[in-house]
Amino acid sequence: MSPDVIDGFLQATQLSTIIAVASGCLIGLIIGMIPGLTISTGIIIVLPLTFVLEADISIALLLGLYVSGMTGGSFSAILLNIPGTPSASATAMDGHPMALNGEGGRALGIAITASFVGGFFSFLCLYFIAPLLAEIALKFQSPDLFSLVFFGLTIICSFAAKSLVKGLLSAVIGLAIVTIGQDPMMGTARFTFGELNLIAGIHFLTALIGLFAIPQLVDNFADIVKGGVKEKSAARISRVFPKLSDLKLMRLPMAIGASIGSFLGILPGAGGPIAAFISYDYAKKLSKSPDEYGKGSPQGIAAPESANNAVTGGALIPMMTLGIPGDPVTAILIGALLIHGLAPGPLLFVENGEFAYGLIFSFFWANIFNLIIAFIGLRFLVKVLVVPKALLMPTIAILCVIGSYALRNNFFDVYMMFGFGLLGLAMRWLDMPVVPLLLAMVLGRQLEEHLRISLIASKNDVSVFFTSPFSLFFLCLAAASIFWSFWAEHKSKQKKRAPSG
Amino acid sequence: MNNMRTRNLIAGIILLSLCAVYAYLTANLPTRNIENTTQPSFFPWVITFCLTGLSLSLLIQGILPVFNSKESAVIDVPVKRLLSGLALSLIYLIALPILGFIASNIPFFAGLMYLYGERRPVWIFGGSALTSLVVFELFREVFQIRLPAGILEGLI
Repeated sequence: MSPDVIDGFLQATQLSTIIAVASGCLIGLIIGMIPGLTISTGIIIVLPLTFVLEADISIALLLGLYVSGMTGGSFSAILLNIPGTPSASATAMDGHPMALNGEGGRALGIAITASFVGGFFSFLCLYFIAPLLAEIALKFQSPDLFSLVFFGLTIICSFAAKSLVKGLLSAVIGLAIVTIGQDPMMGTARFTFGELNLIAGIHFLTALIGLFAIPQLVDNFADIVKGGVKEKSAARISRVFPKLSDLKLMRLPMAIGASIGSFLGILPGAGGPIAAFISYDYAKKLSKSPDEYGKGSPQGIAAPESANNAVTGGALIPMMTLGIPGDPVTAILIGALLIHGLAPGPLLFVENGEFAYGLIFSFFWANIFNLIIAFIGLRFLVKVLVVPKALLMPTIAILCVIGSYALRNNFFDVYMMFGFGLLGLAMRWLDMPVVPLLLAMVLGRQLEEHLRISLIASKNDVSVFFTSPFSLFFLCLAAASIFWSFWAEHKSKQKKRAPSG
Repeated sequence: MNNMRTRNLIAGIILLSLCAVYAYLTANLPTRNIENTTQPSFFPWVITFCLTGLSLSLLIQGILPVFNSKESAVIDVPVKRLLSGLALSLIYLIALPILGFIASNIPFFAGLMYLYGERRPVWIFGGSALTSLVVFELFREVFQIRLPAGILEGLI
């Protein structure tokens, strides 16, 4: 066993790291279960803390929040039929009918157990696949890396958008924002208008806070107008631990969910909601009793819950090995690493092997603590569902301001955050996804750097992107991803038109 | 013309105008006399072409009835409440560097509580003052993030 693995395990098992993971899990469960708050918002809330904590502790905290946020989302989906996070949408289909039948506790127990199994399976994938992938990625040259980042962007756009044009537009706007500040090759100031605060560029965490938190704060105005969230069945929780018969029933759906979730997690942009619905569909097709699905079937909870937690480990694989985030949360993790001077990518395992394995084992602990805290604290945690939004939302607003100020101790970032909030609202109005913009901001600099380095090295010969086998492979995948998205969009429009025509 | 088509049209026009401004700024970026190298304006030009092409596609989607998309994303909030929230935020952002975090946070927090439906004065005043103070002290003293106290600097 490599010394990095042992050191990483010891690092992740330190008391401070364990406390950080457990705290992250607790916050994640609370944030995840509150309808209207996503995991990204939870991360935004704890973001200022990561500036003052050590890198390994910060990441442990964020990982705990990421893992438990997925599980927490199922609590409100089961008890209130309102998914706490989009990833828990599929869980509500069978979870809520069970709660209505007085089996809320059983449904929650199944959700927690399935989440653990999915998360643990994805930990194994992360542990075994990530180092191998990093080894392969070490052979990549600049043209390969450019094509890889380009492929990452196209797949994110196609997954994250109803309309490919809008998804691509969102990404290109993100790339345009990245060009503000110093040119990465020569240091020339671009589009700074003499403003010193823009020389270092726009911090993507500022953009993240504005793009996610402000539209969410506005969305919650709507909830208040509609009468808010009622806590009808939150109080009634029966026996929580699943019976042996339940565990037997859950085996196949959990295995399906864990495999699909881990695989889709590796694909940038696919995310929890897609994995949950696909797993639900497959579990139903392979079930001996598909008619029970949608009426309160434990299998209908096990498959999506296992899948959405398996996505977390899967998403960490491209983030750690290639530096490509699969979703906003892994984008924030990259940001948190960069703040501490650590660059995710293939070199992470070579230069900071102890840290890389520490991260993997922190993910392992996150799954363990998620299981423990969720089971032990369930009865107390669900009380959070009755916290008044009139107190919660202004607190989040203030934390957003502090989070953006604390990035560089600068009011300029607060103004930028607000500006991005308005941009987020405009994009919402246009039905344009914000995720491609955000991920383009994370990947944009790498894209420009690798493109220009490749062109300089090849004396402006673009054929360099087609002669390298890795680069050609990624470009083909990118072309297939764009073609597939156009085809899927065309098919979906045809389907919509069919009933009226 | 349906709702989303109008929005696509407006967005297409705005984005094309932004493309023109971005292209103008890109054209005016300084050049470097280094052989066999790409200029600082190289990547912005790539973006300009992509942005123009995609903005034109959006504009066409807004004009042609072929793209008769019926989905319409709505920010389902009363306009008055939304505008009040935006105005409150603007005033807060202006006041923040002058008054400091606590003095500006308390009225902002109270205003937001009101907008989120809280009507009990004791809850509004108590909640806003207490939460603002706790958050400020927590970040300043525990997490060592030096939030400016502004006009209350001597008192806190």
